[in-house]
Amino acid sequence: MFVMNENKIIMKTSLVLLILFLSFSAISQDKLPNISIKDLKNRNVNLVSDFSEKGKTYVFSFWATWCMPCLRELEAIKEHYDEWSEELNMELVAISIDDSRTEKRIRPLVNGRNWPYTILHDKNQKLKRALSIVNIPYTVVVKNNKIEYIFNGYSQGEEEELYQSLKKL
Amino acid sequence: MVIVKVKKKNFTNLLKNCSLYRFILLITFTFFYQISFGQEKSEDKSYYGRVYGGLESNSQFYLDDSGLGVVQPDEPFRSNNYINVNYNFKKWTGGLQVESYEPNALLNYNPQFKGTDLATYYLKYKTEKWNITLGHFYEQFGSGLLLRAWEDRSLGINSALRGARIHYTPNSNYDFTLLYGRQRSGFSVTDGDIYGFNADVFLGEQLNLYEKNQDLSLGFSYVGRYESVDFENPNFNELTNSYSFRFDYLYNSFYINGEANYKSEDGLLNVQNELSNQFVKPGSAYQVNFGYSQLNLGVDVTLRRLENMGFFSEREPSIFVNSLGEVQTSFDYLDKFLNYVPALTKQHHSQLANIYVFQAQNSVLFEDSEIMRAGETGGQIDFFYTFEKGTDLGGKYGTQVSINLSSWYNLPGTYTFNPPDYDVDFFGIGNKYFHDYNIELKKKLNESWHIGANYINQYYDQRFLGGGKLVKTDIFTSEATYNFTKEKSLRLELEKMFADADRKDWVGGTAEFNLNKEFSFYVWDIYNYGNDDPSRQVHYLNVGGSYRKSAFSLTLNYGRQRGGLVCVGGVCRFVPESTGFSLSFNTSF
Repeated sequence: MFVMNENKIIMKTSLVLLILFLSFSAISQDKLPNISIKDLKNRNVNLVSDFSEKGKTYVFSFWATWCMPCLRELEAIKEHYDEWSEELNMELVAISIDDSRTEKRIRPLVNGRNWPYTILHDKNQKLKRALSIVNIPYTVVVKNNKIEYIFNGYSQGEEEELYQSLKKL
Repeated sequence: MVIVKVKKKNFTNLLKNCSLYRFILLITFTFFYQISFGQEKSEDKSYYGRVYGGLESNSQFYLDDSGLGVVQPDEPFRSNNYINVNYNFKKWTGGLQVESYEPNALLNYNPQFKGTDLATYYLKYKTEKWNITLGHFYEQFGSGLLLRAWEDRSLGINSALRGARIHYTPNSNYDFTLLYGRQRSGFSVTDGDIYGFNADVFLGEQLNLYEKNQDLSLGFSYVGRYESVDFENPNFNELTNSYSFRFDYLYNSFYINGEANYKSEDGLLNVQNELSNQFVKPGSAYQVNFGYSQLNLGVDVTLRRLENMGFFSEREPSIFVNSLGEVQTSFDYLDKFLNYVPALTKQHHSQLANIYVFQAQNSVLFEDSEIMRAGETGGQIDFFYTFEKGTDLGGKYGTQVSINLSSWYNLPGTYTFNPPDYDVDFFGIGNKYFHDYNIELKKKLNESWHIGANYINQYYDQRFLGGGKLVKTDIFTSEATYNFTKEKSLRLELEKMFADADRKDWVGGTAEFNLNKEFSFYVWDIYNYGNDDPSRQVHYLNVGGSYRKSAFSLTLNYGRQRGGLVCVGGVCRFVPESTGFSLSFNTSF
């Protein structure tokens, strides 16, 4: 009986605190979490300190080898990538969330598709979890360590929208 | 205010009686609470830290459907909800996840997911070199063949460990992890004590390999599971030890990596899912992967052999009886798994190619004198090629080809049913479980048209994979996307499956209309027209739409759910046939 009470108290306390947290939405997530994940050569790359060049725009695109819309999006951007990176001082960082089922496909796919992007691997999806990403593709645009835009999902042609948004930064 | 009073009245009792973790939790909250209040006073946001998290809700209203032969369940409205909140202040981060299954969880989720409760919580201290976590944490050692604690909400998996973890990175060449915990199951934890140690060493810099276009890394893991057993003289140790050795080597465009895993002798389960003191075996897993890639070309080969690699935080599963009176175990709900053993096959996106989905056969299973298996052995080959633009096959925009071949078999050797025993060979193959040979083409024709096609050939021996017949399939799919404008597009997909057994032939189609970047609508149907039983020649028609803006997305669907396996990343959950409305939304903050 007492255990029940105690549980209820904990629950209620948590809920009150949750509401309190949510009321501080003004300080919500405007930066990427300070997390390191690996590149394809097993080197640690920090999401904050390794992508902090002043004035440069970083487009973090979450994808997986099995995600068709993701592949369509990254293929579509590839066609414009040279122009965009020249015109806008931007870099696309493609973060794979493949787990050990499909992670072996990352290296051959990236090369077979001739992708010009920086590729990172979020092995046990800790970055995906920290950003509360439910579905991919999911794209986060960061400039001067500040999250400027989030795009979730992709339909054919939507890369134009991304380009227009990047131009405004 | 009422809540605060309740809290004060019981505070002394609470301190006296609550277990340690709840106390830590309370302290953590109080700490955050005060800091949160401090925020109002300051203009400087960053100093007072950040709050971040996410919200996800998946609800369904189930209906009667005589055409499908399903009746409305007792509680027709069911909903799974998750809220995750984290607070970061300098080197400290704390967070919690509350889950709510009200009035009940979606059909065929683990019955232990019931009601609303605190699901996970943690407090983390992180510096450049140290990362210390108390509470729940997720972890994966190597490829996860010994340990993976993870979450997948659509599968009903949350195998977080509750305990303590120390992660130490003295410099970029070393990673060490030490952990202890108990695994989450429902809103509680299992009885097994889990101990783990992992080391990863990156030798590229030390051996000056980068200059030579090479790279080498090595890994070692230990995972121990202690659970007391009731036998007077157990023929195996109550502490099960497992070890993993790994390497990954790159040389220019060539790479090779591999791992060897060993699990010490442990009692196996008999047909009634009871632990045996006579059927005692060790386990092992070996994997080799190599590949070569250059501009426009990638080839990858993986070979894997698994023997008795079921590894659980409790040896015996929990037994449940579901609403239909069927006996199900915690294994059916993907609960209490310590390791992650995905099927190494291609993950298809076509509806029909996901009917006969292979799952890795890592565990020993003795069903009768015919069906006995000790693991799996086999391999997979991937081939990616891009025909450059301007070539005959590439056309104006290039053409992409992917070929994937996989075959999986039982371990060869001698098996005896009574008393249960096996003696398997290291090399060679036993009965075939599955194969999947497929080719995929993708092409952009012009600014308006993108097209694609797939051919998939599958062999699926249900006799070894849960019951049924051997099924052989040929699947053809084609898709086309037409862009009216940059924003407005229509995607069409047609599928056809020829199957020689079970539910036989199917046909399917999808139309997806993207009105703009916020709204899209779809309708899809798969039709089992080839079923031998005319009353089972049914359509599974679904219509729905989605809205997305920034981090928010919402999906509404009405239609029929095909009963069978629903798989995410090679792990599958069984779902019953159902009809109804579903609403899902999620966001982050």
